[in-house]
Amino acid sequence: MTIFSLYIYDRHCNCVYYQDWHRTKRLKPAVEGGGILPAVSRAVTPAPSTGPDGNGSTAASNYSSPRNTLSSSTGVVVAMNEMNLQPGATTTPPAQPSMNQPGLPFDEEAKLVYGVVLSLRNMVKKLAGREEQFVNYKTSTYKLHLFETISGYKLVMLSDPDANPMQSVLRQIYAGPFIEYVVRNPLSTMDSRTHGIDNEYFRASIDRYLRGLPVFP
Amino acid sequence: MTIYGLWIINKAGGLVYQRNFAEGLAQLSSNEYLVLAGTLHGIHAITSRISPIGPSSGAQVIEGENFKLTILLTATGTKLVLLTSLPDASAQLILQKTYEAYADAVMKNPFHTPEMPIRSEGFDTRITDLIGTGQTS
Repeated sequence: MTIFSLYIYDRHCNCVYYQDWHRTKRLKPAVEGGGILPAVSRAVTPAPSTGPDGNGSTAASNYSSPRNTLSSSTGVVVAMNEMNLQPGATTTPPAQPSMNQPGLPFDEEAKLVYGVVLSLRNMVKKLAGREEQFVNYKTSTYKLHLFETISGYKLVMLSDPDANPMQSVLRQIYAGPFIEYVVRNPLSTMDSRTHGIDNEYFRASIDRYLRGLPVFP
Repeated sequence: MTIYGLWIINKAGGLVYQRNFAEGLAQLSSNEYLVLAGTLHGIHAITSRISPIGPSSGAQVIEGENFKLTILLTATGTKLVLLTSLPDASAQLILQKTYEAYADAVMKNPFHTPEMPIRSEGFDTRITDLIGTGQTS
């Protein structure tokens, strides 16, 4: 039993948050101009061409909101998580795709996941009436779970194919970390279409919650 | 368990057989079923691409709150889809048997054109024997 990744989409079809745990297929960062917003996840934002100095300055110019301070400190925590997760790959900067067969770039992957989820949701509604909700699907290697909030946020989790339904877990992420660190965070710009909702506390809080679950090895 | 319906989708995504057994799902026109089958065909291909750990099959079971679709992908790319209620453990088995019936009554039928809609009384009878006309229990 294990959990692979978590995607959050807002009602404008944008991916606003991403986090992963045990995926073995290395994540390839999004390409420049691929439509991925800033502050989705440090691991997937297009790699800036210059060194750490230039990195800092582009970040400063990109993030005009006061969330800037949060984001720049996010890096530390994310790096720490990475360290815990992939003991072998601590020195690999997340921006460098390497190792076992990198898949799609993140922006394309995020769009595919959203496309599948939206199509299945519409299909299920068409088949069984407007009240019916799409819950999950399963393949030979993973299971995808969907939880949709009334405000149109879609929480998508990829887990082990044999995992139990994750609806309650996703609801808990929504009711706990999401409300606490995104909705109640005056510095977080929800529904902005220009920024994701990533921040240090949100990420750490989800991480802590999921690691405490029995499904997490 | 309740079996709502059976679809057979050819390797190009066209719906070649569709039959309803029990009430419970929305009644759709044959055109809408064609569109849904095409959509499912596309989704099935994408689901194998977004696996987080290496190569994966396409979606095998798709669940809603009150029903599920169980998909059997045959070696030739034909998909057999069974729509059932959620607490149904025998869907895979029924699909296997449906595939047998398909091989016997459709593929061995010299008057059947491959990849075209299935109009075979023999197949209909086999399916009726297997699933029934409106099985509820």
